[in-house]
Amino acid sequence: MMIPGGVLMIFVIVVPILLGLYMSVLSLDQYTLRQWLSAPFAGPANYIEAVTDSPLLKSFWISLSFAVLSTAAAVPLGIAAALATQNYFPGRAVVRSIFLIPYVMPSFVVATVWRTMFQPDGVIVNGLHSLGITSSLWLNGPNSYWTLVFVEIWASWPFIYLLALAGLQSVDHDVHEASALDGASWWPKLRYVIFPYLKGPVALACVIATLNHINNFALPFVLFGIPAPDDVQTLPILTYSTTFESFRFGLGAAMAFSSLILLAIPLIIYVRAVKLDVDEGADK
Amino acid sequence: MTETTTGRADRPSTRRHGSRQAEVTRLLPNGILVAVLVAICAFIAIPLIYVVLSSLNSDLGVARGELIPSSWSLQNFADIWTTIGLGKGIANSLIVAGSAGIVSAAVALATAYVFVRFRFFGRVTMMRGLLVVQSVPGTLMVLPVFVVFASAGSYLGITVIGTLWGLFLTYLTFTLPFSTWVMVTYLRGLPKELEEAARIDGASNLMILLKVVLPLSWPGVMVSAIFAFLLGWNDVIFASVMTNSDTQTAAIALQVFGSTQQNGTLPLYGQMMAASLVCAAPVIALFLIFQRYLVSGLTSGAVKG
Repeated sequence: MMIPGGVLMIFVIVVPILLGLYMSVLSLDQYTLRQWLSAPFAGPANYIEAVTDSPLLKSFWISLSFAVLSTAAAVPLGIAAALATQNYFPGRAVVRSIFLIPYVMPSFVVATVWRTMFQPDGVIVNGLHSLGITSSLWLNGPNSYWTLVFVEIWASWPFIYLLALAGLQSVDHDVHEASALDGASWWPKLRYVIFPYLKGPVALACVIATLNHINNFALPFVLFGIPAPDDVQTLPILTYSTTFESFRFGLGAAMAFSSLILLAIPLIIYVRAVKLDVDEGADK
Repeated sequence: MTETTTGRADRPSTRRHGSRQAEVTRLLPNGILVAVLVAICAFIAIPLIYVVLSSLNSDLGVARGELIPSSWSLQNFADIWTTIGLGKGIANSLIVAGSAGIVSAAVALATAYVFVRFRFFGRVTMMRGLLVVQSVPGTLMVLPVFVVFASAGSYLGITVIGTLWGLFLTYLTFTLPFSTWVMVTYLRGLPKELEEAARIDGASNLMILLKVVLPLSWPGVMVSAIFAFLLGWNDVIFASVMTNSDTQTAAIALQVFGSTQQNGTLPLYGQMMAASLVCAAPVIALFLIFQRYLVSGLTSGAVKG
């Protein structure tokens, strides 16, 4: 019964990854593409070029800071939203559904809508102007970076909210009663009683969210198009434009594999955190 | 994994003690609660209100930066089918993402069942591999697949790039591991006893899977199929290199249209917003209908990519 799934996964996942690794040491471009098996061997040249003679390192920092900032800003938002919807009130179910809309909206739609709003003559520039703030370029130049971070936060914070909510629901009723008996007011109760329950789930949410930010291709691609402004050239965008705009397939493969270094740390934490779950299954 | 629909502690158990119970579990004072709710709802609502209003506005009105339309019309929703070719895009998306969803869910059920119920060498490593593969960037997968597909013409004499079945194959690279993981977490919660009883009655593994496990795990199969479908529907990177103007998906139709409007004399932004709404509506509707089942899947992994 394992055979259909196993064979499929080997063909659609394992084989492409190994081929990609092989391509990263080939001198592969649009001329050698059709006969790629006979493309000249390049050794580590692609990796050397990626590190010394391409924007790879800059993209590395852009991706890292973009991912960390987006996660950090989503945490207070997600926790506040979870705290506000934990206690019952009329209409809570509706509010909870609304909170998830940004997260379930397809990235390409989110990016298309914000891109229209951020146009030089668009509604955001006009709105800021009426508040006395003059700005014009949000999709080009240095501001584009903040546009990207802002839209990513808008689209992804409900993930933190979901896991914070799960953490809140693990708080026993006795705990609430004990802190009420002690006469704790709301902030000390949150700070010393409730937040410790949230630490685990929110930390896991941060790791997964960071991984997703680093890998997000659709949002910057649709928001800014290709060629993207320098300040939003994240690792996936750089790899994509090197591969499918400059047709440097070997160099692109080397870049894709180099970017795994950035993913490695959150990925290891993530896989370790879920490991317990796997072993639990093994014991039963 | 985690159930986030309704908690136990937050619903008053009896009417008489209701208000006191609610007071004990209260987390935020009323003033702050209302402020947080209003602030977050406004933050979410701004682009949503904008897209709805703009889809009813004229292209010129949206390009001028109007929030409230100066003239209201449903014309945009009629025009997008010819200007953007959205109908064909949606049909292609439905075909490719739909078949990826069905195939992934079916294959995932069998694979996940083996992972959960059998012990064999390399099992834990393979399960961890499932998680790792879900976090591999799309750029890493799309590149070798593209090179192999592009060279299929010269090596095997078949055209793969630009076909719907070629795109379907690439979608399996991300839908299969995700669906399998969703099914693993679901099947783990199923009791073993029924399967054991069937085994004593002499049922084969395949019979057990089809007659015992499948009927019990319908909700899980549905969730993994819906998620796989949504992943395919939301995909941009694979479809942007694997399709041509005939086979482009809804996402690519919208993206290409958007990038050509940027430098036009009269950008058709009103139509673009109408098309955005049409592309988002089925996803949000699907989600709201199956919300109870989908929330647990959302917390166990990502839908964005």
